[in-house]
Amino acid sequence: MAAETLTAQSREAADADLRDPGLVKIRDLIYRISGIYYQDAKFYLLAGRARKRMSAVNSKTFADYFDHLTTRPNRDAEMRNLLNEITIGETYFFRGKPQLEALSKIILPKLMGLKSKQAFKKIRIWSAGCSTGEEPYSLSILLTEEFALKGKDWTFEIVATDLNDNSVCKCREGLYGEYAVRNLSPQRRQKYFSPEGNYLRLKERIRASVKFERLNLQDQSKMLFMKGFDMVFCCNVLIYFDGVAKKRTVEHFFNGLIPGGHFFLGECETLFGIFDQFRLVHFPGATGYLKPAPGEETGGAL
Amino acid sequence: MNPETANLLQRRVNELHNLPAMPTVLRSLGECLGANPSDVNLERIVELISYDKSLVAQCLRIANSAMFRRRAEVDSIRSAVMALGVSRIRDIVYSCALPGLLAGSKDGMAPVVFWRHALGTALVSQHLAQRFEIENCEKFYLAGLLHDIGILVNSLLFREEFQRVLQEAEASETPLFEVEARILGFTHCDTGTILAGLWNLPADVSAAIERHHHPMADHPNLEMICTVYLADLLCRLRNLGYGYYEAREFDLAAAAPWRMLQEIHPAAADIDLARFTLELDEHAVSVQELVDSIFTPEKTPA
Repeated sequence: MAAETLTAQSREAADADLRDPGLVKIRDLIYRISGIYYQDAKFYLLAGRARKRMSAVNSKTFADYFDHLTTRPNRDAEMRNLLNEITIGETYFFRGKPQLEALSKIILPKLMGLKSKQAFKKIRIWSAGCSTGEEPYSLSILLTEEFALKGKDWTFEIVATDLNDNSVCKCREGLYGEYAVRNLSPQRRQKYFSPEGNYLRLKERIRASVKFERLNLQDQSKMLFMKGFDMVFCCNVLIYFDGVAKKRTVEHFFNGLIPGGHFFLGECETLFGIFDQFRLVHFPGATGYLKPAPGEETGGAL
Repeated sequence: MNPETANLLQRRVNELHNLPAMPTVLRSLGECLGANPSDVNLERIVELISYDKSLVAQCLRIANSAMFRRRAEVDSIRSAVMALGVSRIRDIVYSCALPGLLAGSKDGMAPVVFWRHALGTALVSQHLAQRFEIENCEKFYLAGLLHDIGILVNSLLFREEFQRVLQEAEASETPLFEVEARILGFTHCDTGTILAGLWNLPADVSAAIERHHHPMADHPNLEMICTVYLADLLCRLRNLGYGYYEAREFDLAAAAPWRMLQEIHPAAADIDLARFTLELDEHAVSVQELVDSIFTPEKTPA
């Protein structure tokens, strides 16, 4: 999500929006459809994004726009547009370094040990709420490099999903600006990107390694098919869900992971009070969640 | 450690008489701060610091550094104590007095790295003790501060071997005590315990030094040992470790010391470890700043 801050003046406007019954109805509608819940403190975000769509469809009030979303012939398309507006992300390559370090230095060697006896030596990762693709592509680059070094007979599959159509399209294009690649070493930049005007195009090899799909995390039936992952990343997505939707979603992630698999949230997110079947595990500079394997003994003197 | 190694170690320590003496200020200030917070004698603290001129100069330099600077220039120890508060002065005094012990050693662990971990563990131990609602948390601070003094001994008495330990630990991304046990046949817990005996440290502090990597369920100082164990581990996981990456996954909630602490202190059960580590990140920044400001070479004479 783009950083949007409140000034004193806009806070007054936000308070007015909070009392607008039209916007409250829009919030409840979005929640019913996507599970994304705007708490009062985040109302200004919703108001700003709804206004963008309102000016596009020439709607003057929240109440009128609510009609656009519920009674007009193109209501489904407009709802989709609004959801796209709401879930616009902002991220960059190799964000969350401690998480990625834990992946390559700790989790991957462990998984490779666990799965070494299997016929198909394959690691499967799901990037849920992949936004514009920086996260799944970073994972792909990392795994490509790790396997080149110490896993020649290993392959990986990365599934990246997002609710936002535009994000999914952008992911597939693999075209990025300077902001997105600011954390990349010159070597990686050169190895995996080719310049295209003011942009950088991710090379085909990495683009082809990630499978992008549009997926609503609240779509219960589709979520059931997401199975057999070694790792799930869902960074800064759950914050837009309310308690019930969060719990339901995390439960799906839990079920989608193999025993011994790991789940990662955004840097400042925790599962406290949401879901307690994962075990909180610490890595240097990062925390993650482990789906315990049956009978697995953890802890001990360290 | 087998009895043979223990004997050898004790002999070697006895033969070499250049083990550092306990800094006077540590004992006297420790006793002074050990009293109830309400009857801490400010005049006595000022007097104790004043005995050591170089300590006075360093305290004033730090009190006037960008990190602590208040409106008016601090020009006496009394005003420094007033301006910064007793606990900050304590951090500064110990930080100035103790790392000097490592000054004689060119090899071994860099004083700034050693000290960052010591001070971090001291503050986290004390913070944990407060959260457990233990009275007189000052002891926990002291135990955290001194838990790794065995590293001082190893740096001074076993220079070459310990240098190899450090290199090997860093290269293999393994906890230090494991590599010590393998290469030296003993750990900093063993040598620290010998130094604690020479320094006549209190039994519970000495117990934390001896057992902070190997807590024992039936130890009379279990509370102190487990708290320091946890603080040490948390610091190593949150950027206040030995300055290298430890490629380990830790399940703190399942670790025996944490479960033992929760049995002793019901208040411990309320601590959300995920959030606690996030809070610790903020803490880590201020410890880094303090330590850096102490180890930054003086720009102008105090």
